[in-house]
Amino acid sequence: MPFDAGPPLLAAEGLTLQYKTRTSLVTATWRVDVAAGRGERVVLLGPSGCGKSSLLKCVGGFLPPVEGRVMLAGREVTAPGPDRMMVFQEFDQLLPWKTVRGNIEFPLIQARPGWSRRHIADKAALYMDKVGLSKFAESHPHQLSGGMKQRVAIARAMAMEPEILLMDEPFASLDALTRRRMQEELLQLWLDTRFTLLFVTHSIEEAIIIGSRIVVLSPHPGRVKAVLDSDFAADDALGPTHSQALQDEISAMLFSDRFENGSGI
Amino acid sequence: MNRIAPVGADPLAVVERPLSHWERLWGHAPLRRGVILVLLALLWQTYGILANNPLMFPSFSATATAFSDAIIRGTLLKKAWTSVQVLLLGYGIGMSIAFVLAGLAASTRIGEDILATLTAMFNPLPAIALLPLALLWFGLGTPSLLFVLVHAVVWPLALNTSAGFAAVSETLRMAGRNYGLSGWRYVARILVPAAFPAILTGLKVGWAFAWRTLIAAELVFGVASGSGGLGWFIFENKNRLETDYVFAGLGTVILIGLLVEGLIFRTIERHTIRKWGMQR
Repeated sequence: MPFDAGPPLLAAEGLTLQYKTRTSLVTATWRVDVAAGRGERVVLLGPSGCGKSSLLKCVGGFLPPVEGRVMLAGREVTAPGPDRMMVFQEFDQLLPWKTVRGNIEFPLIQARPGWSRRHIADKAALYMDKVGLSKFAESHPHQLSGGMKQRVAIARAMAMEPEILLMDEPFASLDALTRRRMQEELLQLWLDTRFTLLFVTHSIEEAIIIGSRIVVLSPHPGRVKAVLDSDFAADDALGPTHSQALQDEISAMLFSDRFENGSGI
Repeated sequence: MNRIAPVGADPLAVVERPLSHWERLWGHAPLRRGVILVLLALLWQTYGILANNPLMFPSFSATATAFSDAIIRGTLLKKAWTSVQVLLLGYGIGMSIAFVLAGLAASTRIGEDILATLTAMFNPLPAIALLPLALLWFGLGTPSLLFVLVHAVVWPLALNTSAGFAAVSETLRMAGRNYGLSGWRYVARILVPAAFPAILTGLKVGWAFAWRTLIAAELVFGVASGSGGLGWFIFENKNRLETDYVFAGLGTVILIGLLVEGLIFRTIERHTIRKWGMQR
Protein backbone atom coordinates (compact mmCIF):
# COMPACT_ATOMS: atom_id res chain seq x y z
CA MET A 1 0.00 0.00 0.00
CA PRO A 2 1.35 3.45 -0.84
CA PHE A 3 -0.32 5.00 2.22
CA ASP A 4 1.18 5.89 5.61
CA ALA A 5 1.03 3.35 8.38
CA GLY A 6 -0.18 4.57 11.75
CA PRO A 7 -3.44 6.37 12.46
CA PRO A 8 -5.31 7.40 9.30
CA LEU A 9 -5.70 11.07 8.37
CA LEU A 10 -9.44 10.93 8.87
CA ALA A 11 -11.06 8.61 11.39
CA ALA A 12 -14.77 8.72 12.07
CA GLU A 13 -15.42 6.40 14.98
CA GLY A 14 -18.82 5.02 16.00
CA LEU A 15 -20.76 7.91 14.48
CA THR A 16 -24.44 8.03 15.32
CA LEU A 17 -26.11 10.97 13.62
CA GLN A 18 -29.60 12.21 14.23
CA TYR A 19 -31.53 15.16 12.90
CA LYS A 20 -34.95 16.58 13.61
CA THR A 21 -37.60 17.08 11.00
CA ARG A 22 -40.77 19.02 11.71
CA THR A 23 -42.49 15.93 13.08
CA SER A 24 -39.86 13.42 14.13
CA LEU A 25 -36.30 12.61 15.12
CA VAL A 26 -34.53 10.68 12.37
CA THR A 27 -31.48 8.52 12.96
CA ALA A 28 -29.39 9.01 9.83
CA THR A 29 -26.50 6.70 10.73
CA TRP A 30 -25.95 4.15 13.47
CA ARG A 31 -22.42 3.62 14.84
CA VAL A 32 -20.61 4.02 11.55
CA ASP A 33 -16.82 3.87 11.22
CA VAL A 34 -15.11 5.48 8.25
CA ALA A 35 -11.38 5.98 7.80
CA ALA A 36 -9.29 7.58 5.09
CA GLY A 37 -5.52 7.57 4.79
CA ARG A 38 -3.60 10.44 3.22
CA GLY A 39 -4.06 10.37 -0.55
CA GLU A 40 -6.97 7.93 -0.46
CA ARG A 41 -10.20 8.44 -2.39
CA VAL A 42 -12.94 7.08 -0.16
CA VAL A 43 -16.43 6.89 -1.63
CA LEU A 44 -19.55 6.68 0.52
CA LEU A 45 -22.05 4.76 -1.59
CA GLY A 46 -25.63 3.92 -0.80
CA PRO A 47 -29.28 4.48 -1.63
CA SER A 48 -31.15 7.54 -0.35
CA GLY A 49 -31.74 7.35 3.37
CA CYS A 50 -28.41 5.70 4.16
CA GLY A 51 -27.07 8.86 5.78
CA LYS A 52 -24.16 9.35 3.40
CA SER A 53 -24.73 13.09 3.08
CA SER A 54 -25.21 13.38 6.85
CA LEU A 55 -21.87 11.63 7.34
CA LEU A 56 -20.19 14.11 5.03
CA LYS A 57 -21.83 17.05 6.82
CA CYS A 58 -20.62 15.64 10.12
CA VAL A 59 -17.05 15.41 8.86
CA GLY A 60 -17.49 18.95 7.55
CA GLY A 61 -18.44 20.04 11.05
CA PHE A 62 -21.98 21.09 10.17
CA LEU A 63 -23.76 18.28 12.04
CA PRO A 64 -22.50 17.35 15.52
CA PRO A 65 -22.65 13.61 16.21
CA VAL A 66 -24.93 12.22 18.92
CA GLU A 67 -22.39 9.51 19.61
CA GLY A 68 -18.81 8.95 18.44
CA ARG A 69 -16.34 11.47 17.08
CA VAL A 70 -14.50 12.57 13.97
CA MET A 71 -10.71 12.88 14.16
CA LEU A 72 -8.81 14.70 11.44
CA ALA A 73 -5.01 14.65 11.61
CA GLY A 74 -5.16 13.97 15.34
CA ARG A 75 -7.65 16.76 16.17
CA GLU A 76 -11.32 16.33 16.87
CA VAL A 77 -13.68 18.03 14.43
CA THR A 78 -16.13 20.31 16.24
CA ALA A 79 -17.01 23.08 13.77
CA PRO A 80 -16.78 23.86 10.05
CA GLY A 81 -13.35 24.96 8.96
CA PRO A 82 -11.18 25.57 5.92
CA ASP A 83 -9.09 22.42 6.53
CA ARG A 84 -12.05 20.44 5.12
CA MET A 85 -13.29 22.06 1.92
CA MET A 86 -16.73 21.01 0.71
CA VAL A 87 -17.93 20.78 -2.88
CA PHE A 88 -21.72 20.63 -3.07
CA GLN A 89 -24.11 19.32 -5.68
CA GLU A 90 -25.95 22.61 -6.01
CA PHE A 91 -24.70 25.17 -8.52
CA ASP A 92 -25.51 28.05 -6.15
CA GLN A 93 -22.55 27.22 -3.92
CA LEU A 94 -20.51 29.87 -5.77
CA LEU A 95 -20.77 33.50 -4.71
CA PRO A 96 -22.73 35.12 -7.55
CA TRP A 97 -21.24 38.55 -6.84
CA LYS A 98 -17.68 37.40 -7.44
CA THR A 99 -15.93 36.47 -10.66
CA VAL A 100 -14.40 33.02 -11.16
CA ARG A 101 -11.09 34.40 -9.94
CA GLY A 102 -12.81 36.14 -7.01
CA ASN A 103 -14.58 32.94 -6.01
CA ILE A 104 -11.32 31.02 -5.88
CA GLU A 105 -9.42 33.80 -4.10
CA PHE A 106 -12.14 34.61 -1.55
CA PRO A 107 -11.68 31.60 0.80
CA LEU A 108 -7.91 32.06 0.61
CA ILE A 109 -8.22 35.72 1.60
CA GLN A 110 -10.55 34.80 4.47
CA ALA A 111 -8.75 31.73 5.80
CA ARG A 112 -5.09 32.48 5.05
CA PRO A 113 -4.57 35.96 6.51
CA GLY A 114 -0.80 35.49 6.51
CA TRP A 115 -0.59 35.11 2.75
CA SER A 116 0.22 38.07 0.52
CA ARG A 117 -2.28 39.07 -2.19
CA ARG A 118 0.33 38.19 -4.77
CA HIS A 119 0.72 34.66 -3.39
CA ILE A 120 -3.07 34.21 -3.27
CA ALA A 121 -3.43 35.44 -6.86
CA ASP A 122 -0.75 32.97 -8.00
CA LYS A 123 -2.48 30.10 -6.17
CA ALA A 124 -5.83 31.00 -7.71
CA ALA A 125 -4.30 31.26 -11.18
CA LEU A 126 -2.60 27.88 -10.78
CA TYR A 127 -5.80 26.04 -9.85
CA MET A 128 -7.87 27.93 -12.39
CA ASP A 129 -5.43 26.65 -14.96
CA LYS A 130 -5.65 23.09 -13.59
CA VAL A 131 -9.42 23.00 -14.19
CA GLY A 132 -9.04 24.77 -17.55
CA LEU A 133 -10.92 27.94 -16.69
CA SER A 134 -8.18 30.57 -17.06
CA LYS A 135 -10.05 32.09 -20.00
CA PHE A 136 -13.12 32.64 -17.82
CA ALA A 137 -11.30 34.26 -14.88
CA GLU A 138 -13.32 37.48 -15.12
CA SER A 139 -16.71 35.85 -15.79
CA HIS A 140 -19.42 35.78 -13.18
CA PRO A 141 -20.94 32.40 -12.22
CA HIS A 142 -24.25 33.10 -14.00
CA GLN A 143 -22.37 33.23 -17.29
CA LEU A 144 -21.00 29.69 -16.86
CA SER A 145 -22.45 26.28 -17.67
CA GLY A 146 -23.21 23.76 -14.91
CA GLY A 147 -20.03 21.80 -15.53
CA MET A 148 -17.93 24.94 -15.44
CA LYS A 149 -19.51 26.03 -12.16
CA GLN A 150 -18.62 22.68 -10.61
CA ARG A 151 -15.07 23.04 -11.91
CA VAL A 152 -14.84 26.44 -10.22
CA ALA A 153 -16.11 24.87 -6.99
CA ILE A 154 -13.49 22.12 -7.23
CA ALA A 155 -10.71 24.59 -8.05
CA ARG A 156 -11.78 26.79 -5.14
CA ALA A 157 -11.66 23.82 -2.76
CA MET A 158 -8.33 22.55 -4.10
CA ALA A 159 -6.68 25.98 -4.00
CA MET A 160 -7.12 25.94 -0.23
CA GLU A 161 -5.00 22.79 -0.19
CA PRO A 162 -7.11 21.37 2.65
CA GLU A 163 -6.33 18.22 4.61
CA ILE A 164 -9.29 16.56 2.92
CA LEU A 165 -11.74 17.39 0.14
CA LEU A 166 -15.39 16.59 0.85
CA MET A 167 -17.63 16.18 -2.20
CA ASP A 168 -21.38 15.71 -1.89
CA GLU A 169 -22.58 14.27 -5.22
CA PRO A 170 -20.82 17.08 -7.09
CA PHE A 171 -21.72 15.75 -10.54
CA ALA A 172 -25.30 14.62 -9.88
CA SER A 173 -26.88 17.72 -11.46
CA LEU A 174 -24.85 17.47 -14.67
CA ASP A 175 -25.86 15.82 -17.94
CA ALA A 176 -24.42 12.35 -18.56
CA LEU A 177 -21.68 13.43 -21.00
CA THR A 178 -20.43 16.27 -18.81
CA ARG A 179 -20.57 14.04 -15.74
CA ARG A 180 -18.36 11.45 -17.42
CA ARG A 181 -15.84 14.08 -18.43
CA MET A 182 -15.80 15.63 -14.96
CA GLN A 183 -15.11 12.23 -13.37
CA GLU A 184 -12.08 11.76 -15.60
CA GLU A 185 -10.88 15.30 -14.89
CA LEU A 186 -11.19 14.71 -11.16
CA LEU A 187 -9.03 11.60 -11.46
CA GLN A 188 -6.48 13.55 -13.51
CA LEU A 189 -6.37 16.20 -10.79
CA TRP A 190 -5.86 13.48 -8.21
CA LEU A 191 -2.99 11.95 -10.18
CA ASP A 192 -1.53 15.45 -10.30
CA THR A 193 -1.79 16.46 -6.63
CA ARG A 194 -2.79 13.29 -4.69
CA PHE A 195 -5.32 15.02 -2.45
CA THR A 196 -7.37 13.05 0.08
CA LEU A 197 -10.99 12.75 -0.96
CA LEU A 198 -14.24 11.77 0.73
CA PHE A 199 -16.84 11.51 -2.01
CA VAL A 200 -20.57 10.82 -1.67
CA THR A 201 -22.59 9.27 -4.48
CA HIS A 202 -25.58 7.02 -5.09
CA SER A 203 -24.21 5.79 -8.44
CA ILE A 204 -22.39 2.45 -8.31
CA GLU A 205 -20.66 3.24 -11.58
CA GLU A 206 -19.39 6.58 -10.31
CA ALA A 207 -18.20 5.00 -7.06
CA ILE A 208 -16.10 2.48 -9.00
CA ILE A 209 -14.61 5.17 -11.27
CA ILE A 210 -13.78 7.63 -8.48
CA GLY A 211 -12.98 5.53 -5.43
CA SER A 212 -9.85 3.81 -4.26
CA ARG A 213 -12.03 2.45 -1.49
CA ILE A 214 -15.81 2.14 -1.47
CA VAL A 215 -17.82 2.18 1.73
CA VAL A 216 -21.21 0.63 0.97
CA LEU A 217 -23.95 1.84 3.31
CA SER A 218 -27.36 0.32 3.94
CA PRO A 219 -30.33 2.52 4.77
CA HIS A 220 -32.70 3.16 7.71
CA PRO A 221 -30.59 3.78 9.70
CA GLY A 222 -27.32 4.05 7.78
CA ARG A 223 -24.82 1.32 8.62
CA VAL A 224 -21.66 0.11 6.93
CA LYS A 225 -22.45 -2.94 4.84
CA ALA A 226 -19.05 -3.50 3.29
CA VAL A 227 -15.76 -1.78 2.56
CA LEU A 228 -14.30 -2.65 -0.85
CA ASP A 229 -10.93 -1.82 -2.39
CA SER A 230 -11.12 -0.78 -6.03
CA ASP A 231 -8.28 1.37 -7.22
CA PHE A 232 -8.87 1.45 -10.96
CA ALA A 233 -7.31 4.85 -11.43
CA ALA A 234 -3.96 3.86 -9.96
CA ASP A 235 -3.86 0.17 -10.82
CA ASP A 236 -3.99 -0.69 -14.54
CA ALA A 237 -4.01 -4.43 -13.80
CA LEU A 238 -7.65 -4.13 -12.75
CA GLY A 239 -9.43 -4.25 -16.09
CA PRO A 240 -13.03 -3.79 -17.25
CA THR A 241 -13.98 -7.37 -16.35
CA HIS A 242 -13.01 -6.75 -12.77
CA SER A 243 -14.94 -3.49 -12.79
CA GLN A 244 -18.05 -5.28 -14.06
CA ALA A 245 -17.68 -7.97 -11.40
CA LEU A 246 -17.38 -5.33 -8.68
CA GLN A 247 -20.42 -3.51 -10.01
CA ASP A 248 -22.45 -6.74 -9.91
CA GLU A 249 -21.24 -7.49 -6.41
CA ILE A 250 -22.28 -4.08 -5.11
CA SER A 251 -25.68 -4.07 -6.77
CA ALA A 252 -26.37 -7.58 -5.45
CA MET A 253 -25.47 -6.23 -2.01
CA LEU A 254 -27.74 -3.21 -2.26
CA PHE A 255 -30.67 -5.06 -3.83
CA SER A 256 -30.61 -8.01 -1.40
CA ASP A 257 -30.90 -5.40 1.30
CA ARG A 258 -34.11 -4.11 -0.23
CA PHE A 259 -35.66 -7.56 -0.26
CA GLU A 260 -34.65 -8.18 3.34
CA ASN A 261 -36.45 -5.02 4.35
CA GLY A 262 -39.51 -6.08 2.38
CA SER A 263 -39.50 -2.81 0.49
CA GLY A 264 -38.52 -4.15 -2.92
CA ILE A 265 -39.35 -2.54 -6.21
CA MET B 1 -28.63 13.69 -55.14
CA ASN B 2 -30.19 16.37 -52.96
CA ARG B 3 -28.85 19.86 -53.26
CA ILE B 4 -29.54 22.73 -51.00
CA ALA B 5 -31.69 25.25 -52.82
CA PRO B 6 -30.16 28.71 -53.19
CA VAL B 7 -31.63 31.06 -50.60
CA GLY B 8 -30.78 34.41 -52.11
CA ALA B 9 -34.27 35.17 -53.35
CA ASP B 10 -36.19 34.59 -50.13
CA PRO B 11 -36.15 37.67 -47.78
CA LEU B 12 -36.56 35.45 -44.68
CA ALA B 13 -33.50 33.37 -45.52
CA VAL B 14 -30.81 35.76 -44.31
CA VAL B 15 -28.22 34.96 -41.69
CA GLU B 16 -28.12 38.44 -40.26
CA ARG B 17 -29.71 41.69 -41.34
CA PRO B 18 -29.19 45.06 -39.64
CA LEU B 19 -32.41 46.44 -38.16
CA SER B 20 -33.77 49.60 -39.71
CA HIS B 21 -33.30 52.93 -37.92
CA TRP B 22 -36.88 52.95 -36.70
CA GLU B 23 -36.68 49.44 -35.29
CA ARG B 24 -33.52 50.34 -33.43
CA LEU B 25 -34.92 53.59 -32.03
CA TRP B 26 -38.13 51.88 -30.92
CA GLY B 27 -36.10 49.26 -29.06
CA HIS B 28 -34.76 52.05 -26.87
CA ALA B 29 -36.90 52.13 -23.68
CA PRO B 30 -36.11 55.72 -22.55
CA LEU B 31 -37.17 56.99 -25.96
CA ARG B 32 -40.50 55.13 -25.85
CA ARG B 33 -41.13 56.53 -22.38
CA GLY B 34 -40.14 60.00 -23.52
CA VAL B 35 -42.76 59.79 -26.28
CA ILE B 36 -45.40 58.90 -23.68
CA LEU B 37 -44.37 61.94 -21.60
CA VAL B 38 -44.65 64.24 -24.62
CA LEU B 39 -48.13 62.88 -25.41
CA LEU B 40 -49.21 63.43 -21.79
CA ALA B 41 -47.92 67.02 -21.89
CA LEU B 42 -49.85 67.65 -25.13
CA LEU B 43 -53.03 66.25 -23.60
CA TRP B 44 -52.54 68.41 -20.50
CA GLN B 45 -51.91 71.54 -22.59
CA THR B 46 -55.02 70.93 -24.73
CA TYR B 47 -57.25 70.39 -21.72
CA GLY B 48 -55.76 73.42 -19.92
CA ILE B 49 -56.52 75.68 -22.88
CA LEU B 50 -60.02 74.28 -23.39
CA ALA B 51 -60.87 74.53 -19.65
CA ASN B 52 -59.55 78.09 -19.61
CA ASN B 53 -59.50 78.26 -15.81
CA PRO B 54 -55.93 78.92 -14.60
CA LEU B 55 -57.12 79.07 -11.00
CA MET B 56 -58.28 75.44 -11.03
CA PHE B 57 -56.22 73.85 -13.80
CA PRO B 58 -53.28 75.78 -15.23
CA SER B 59 -52.00 74.58 -18.59
CA PHE B 60 -48.67 72.85 -19.15
CA SER B 61 -47.03 75.98 -20.49
CA ALA B 62 -48.23 78.07 -17.52
CA THR B 63 -46.85 75.46 -15.13
CA ALA B 64 -43.54 75.36 -16.99
CA THR B 65 -43.28 79.17 -16.81
CA ALA B 66 -44.08 79.12 -13.09
CA PHE B 67 -41.50 76.35 -12.62
CA SER B 68 -38.66 78.22 -14.30
CA ASP B 69 -39.67 81.44 -12.55
CA ALA B 70 -39.68 79.70 -9.16
CA ILE B 71 -36.24 78.28 -9.86
CA ILE B 72 -34.64 81.43 -11.20
CA ARG B 73 -36.22 84.13 -9.07
CA GLY B 74 -37.95 82.23 -6.33
CA THR B 75 -36.91 79.81 -3.64
CA LEU B 76 -37.91 76.48 -5.20
CA LEU B 77 -34.39 75.06 -5.36
CA LYS B 78 -33.58 76.15 -1.82
CA LYS B 79 -36.82 74.61 -0.54
CA ALA B 80 -36.21 71.38 -2.44
CA TRP B 81 -32.70 71.21 -1.00
CA THR B 82 -34.09 71.72 2.54
CA SER B 83 -36.45 68.80 1.98
CA VAL B 84 -33.74 66.57 0.55
CA GLN B 85 -31.38 67.33 3.44
CA VAL B 86 -33.96 66.35 6.05
CA LEU B 87 -34.83 63.31 3.99
CA LEU B 88 -31.23 62.11 3.71
CA LEU B 89 -30.71 62.50 7.44
CA GLY B 90 -33.88 60.55 8.28
CA TYR B 91 -33.09 57.93 5.64
CA GLY B 92 -29.61 57.43 7.07
CA ILE B 93 -30.84 57.02 10.64
CA GLY B 94 -33.64 54.68 9.47
CA MET B 95 -31.15 52.59 7.49
CA SER B 96 -28.83 52.11 10.46
CA ILE B 97 -31.70 51.05 12.73
CA ALA B 98 -33.10 48.70 10.07
CA PHE B 99 -29.73 46.99 9.51
CA VAL B 100 -29.18 46.51 13.24
CA LEU B 101 -32.66 44.97 13.57
CA ALA B 102 -32.18 42.74 10.52
CA GLY B 103 -28.72 41.71 11.71
CA LEU B 104 -30.12 40.72 15.10
CA ALA B 105 -32.94 38.84 13.39
CA ALA B 106 -30.43 36.97 11.24
CA SER B 107 -28.25 35.89 14.14
CA THR B 108 -30.67 35.06 16.95
CA ARG B 109 -34.10 33.48 17.07
CA ILE B 110 -35.40 35.94 19.65
CA GLY B 111 -34.17 38.78 17.42
CA GLU B 112 -36.15 37.27 14.57
CA ASP B 113 -39.28 37.14 16.74
CA ILE B 114 -38.80 40.73 17.87
CA LEU B 115 -38.43 41.97 14.30
CA ALA B 116 -41.37 39.91 13.02
CA THR B 117 -43.64 41.24 15.77
CA LEU B 118 -42.53 44.86 15.43
CA THR B 119 -42.85 44.90 11.63
CA ALA B 120 -46.26 43.23 11.79
CA MET B 121 -47.37 45.97 14.20
CA PHE B 122 -45.81 49.06 12.68
CA ASN B 123 -45.58 48.33 8.95
CA PRO B 124 -49.33 48.87 8.35
CA LEU B 125 -49.28 52.11 10.37
CA PRO B 126 -48.84 55.08 7.99
CA ALA B 127 -45.89 57.15 9.18
CA ILE B 128 -47.84 60.38 8.76
CA ALA B 129 -50.35 59.17 11.35
CA LEU B 130 -47.58 59.52 13.94
CA LEU B 131 -47.08 63.20 13.15
CA PRO B 132 -49.50 64.56 15.80
CA LEU B 133 -47.69 62.48 18.41
CA ALA B 134 -44.30 63.59 17.09
CA LEU B 135 -45.39 67.24 17.33
CA LEU B 136 -46.44 66.64 20.91
CA TRP B 137 -43.12 65.02 21.82
CA PHE B 138 -40.62 66.97 19.76
CA GLY B 139 -42.45 70.19 18.91
CA LEU B 140 -42.52 72.03 15.60
CA GLY B 141 -39.23 71.35 13.86
CA THR B 142 -36.83 68.96 12.24
CA PRO B 143 -36.85 66.35 15.06
CA SER B 144 -40.54 65.71 14.44
CA LEU B 145 -39.93 65.29 10.71
CA LEU B 146 -37.04 62.92 11.42
CA PHE B 147 -39.20 60.86 13.75
CA VAL B 148 -41.85 60.17 11.10
CA LEU B 149 -39.18 59.68 8.41
CA VAL B 150 -37.35 57.06 10.41
CA HIS B 151 -40.62 55.27 11.01
CA ALA B 152 -41.32 55.35 7.25
CA VAL B 153 -37.92 53.84 6.40
CA VAL B 154 -37.19 51.33 9.15
CA TRP B 155 -40.01 48.83 8.75
CA PRO B 156 -40.04 48.20 5.00
CA LEU B 157 -36.24 48.11 4.92
CA ALA B 158 -35.87 45.81 7.94
CA LEU B 159 -38.62 43.54 6.59
CA ASN B 160 -37.04 43.24 3.14
CA THR B 161 -33.52 42.82 4.49
CA SER B 162 -34.50 40.09 6.89
CA ALA B 163 -36.60 38.34 4.22
CA GLY B 164 -33.53 38.55 1.98
CA PHE B 165 -31.33 36.99 4.67
CA ALA B 166 -33.86 34.21 5.20
CA ALA B 167 -33.88 33.43 1.47
CA VAL B 168 -30.11 32.85 1.25
CA SER B 169 -29.69 29.22 0.23
CA GLU B 170 -28.48 26.61 2.69
CA THR B 171 -25.65 25.70 0.32
CA LEU B 172 -24.30 29.26 0.24
CA ARG B 173 -24.53 29.47 4.04
CA MET B 174 -22.61 26.22 4.42
CA ALA B 175 -20.02 27.40 1.90
CA GLY B 176 -19.55 30.60 3.91
CA ARG B 177 -19.14 28.76 7.20
CA ASN B 178 -16.82 26.30 5.47
CA TYR B 179 -14.40 29.21 4.90
CA GLY B 180 -14.34 29.69 8.66
CA LEU B 181 -16.51 32.85 8.56
CA SER B 182 -18.71 33.57 11.55
CA GLY B 183 -20.32 36.49 13.37
CA TRP B 184 -20.37 39.87 11.69
CA ARG B 185 -17.81 38.79 9.06
CA TYR B 186 -20.23 36.08 7.95
CA VAL B 187 -23.13 38.56 7.85
CA ALA B 188 -21.14 41.23 5.99
CA ARG B 189 -19.37 38.99 3.47
CA ILE B 190 -21.95 36.30 2.77
CA LEU B 191 -25.45 37.28 3.90
CA VAL B 192 -25.49 40.95 2.85
CA PRO B 193 -24.27 40.46 -0.74
CA ALA B 194 -26.37 37.31 -1.16
CA ALA B 195 -29.47 39.17 0.05
CA PHE B 196 -28.63 42.33 -1.89
CA PRO B 197 -31.56 42.15 -4.35
CA ALA B 198 -34.00 42.14 -1.43
CA ILE B 199 -32.03 44.84 0.43
CA LEU B 200 -32.14 47.06 -2.65
CA THR B 201 -35.91 46.56 -2.93
CA GLY B 202 -36.18 47.56 0.73
CA LEU B 203 -34.06 50.66 0.10
CA LYS B 204 -36.30 51.67 -2.82
CA VAL B 205 -39.55 51.09 -0.95
CA GLY B 206 -38.14 52.90 2.09
CA TRP B 207 -37.06 55.82 -0.08
CA ALA B 208 -40.51 56.14 -1.70
CA PHE B 209 -42.27 55.95 1.68
CA ALA B 210 -39.90 58.52 3.19
CA TRP B 211 -40.28 61.00 0.33
CA ARG B 212 -44.08 60.87 0.43
CA THR B 213 -44.15 61.09 4.20
CA LEU B 214 -41.83 64.07 4.25
CA ILE B 215 -43.85 66.09 1.73
CA ALA B 216 -47.07 65.26 3.58
CA ALA B 217 -45.55 66.24 6.94
CA GLU B 218 -44.28 69.54 5.52
CA LEU B 219 -47.76 70.30 4.24
CA VAL B 220 -49.04 70.02 7.79
CA PHE B 221 -46.62 72.29 9.57
CA GLY B 222 -44.13 73.45 6.99
CA VAL B 223 -41.56 75.75 8.49
CA ALA B 224 -38.74 73.80 10.02
CA SER B 225 -35.21 75.13 10.38
CA GLY B 226 -36.18 78.59 9.19
CA SER B 227 -37.02 78.12 5.53
CA GLY B 228 -39.43 75.20 5.03
CA GLY B 229 -39.32 72.55 2.34
CA LEU B 230 -41.18 71.58 -0.81
CA GLY B 231 -44.38 70.67 1.02
CA TRP B 232 -44.43 74.14 2.53
CA PHE B 233 -43.85 75.67 -0.92
CA ILE B 234 -46.96 73.86 -2.21
CA PHE B 235 -49.04 74.85 0.82
CA GLU B 236 -47.98 78.54 0.68
CA ASN B 237 -48.83 78.87 -3.00
CA LYS B 238 -52.18 77.17 -2.55
CA ASN B 239 -53.00 79.77 0.12
CA ARG B 240 -52.06 82.53 -2.34
CA LEU B 241 -54.17 80.78 -5.01
CA GLU B 242 -51.15 80.60 -7.31
CA THR B 243 -52.17 77.25 -8.69
CA ASP B 244 -49.52 77.16 -11.41
CA TYR B 245 -46.84 77.33 -8.66
CA VAL B 246 -48.64 74.54 -6.79
CA PHE B 247 -48.35 72.44 -9.96
CA ALA B 248 -44.69 73.39 -10.29
CA GLY B 249 -44.10 72.24 -6.69
CA LEU B 250 -45.84 68.93 -7.35
CA GLY B 251 -43.79 68.55 -10.52
CA THR B 252 -40.60 69.04 -8.51
CA VAL B 253 -41.67 66.32 -6.07
CA ILE B 254 -42.17 63.96 -9.01
CA LEU B 255 -38.92 65.00 -10.70
CA ILE B 256 -36.79 64.38 -7.63
CA GLY B 257 -38.50 61.02 -7.14
CA LEU B 258 -37.77 60.06 -10.76
CA LEU B 259 -34.18 61.23 -10.53
CA VAL B 260 -33.43 59.13 -7.48
CA GLU B 261 -35.15 56.07 -8.94
CA GLY B 262 -33.80 56.43 -12.48
CA LEU B 263 -30.31 57.67 -11.75
CA ILE B 264 -29.21 56.48 -8.34
CA PHE B 265 -31.03 53.18 -7.85
CA ARG B 266 -30.75 52.21 -11.53
CA THR B 267 -26.98 52.77 -11.44
CA ILE B 268 -26.61 50.72 -8.26
CA GLU B 269 -28.66 47.95 -9.85
CA ARG B 270 -26.58 47.92 -13.01
CA HIS B 271 -23.31 47.66 -11.11
CA THR B 272 -24.51 45.00 -8.67
CA ILE B 273 -27.41 42.62 -9.05
CA ARG B 274 -27.65 42.86 -12.85
CA LYS B 275 -23.94 42.30 -13.27
CA TRP B 276 -24.13 39.34 -10.88
CA GLY B 277 -27.02 37.75 -12.78
CA MET B 278 -29.31 38.02 -9.75
CA GLN B 279 -31.75 40.12 -11.76
CA ARG B 280 -32.40 40.25 -15.45
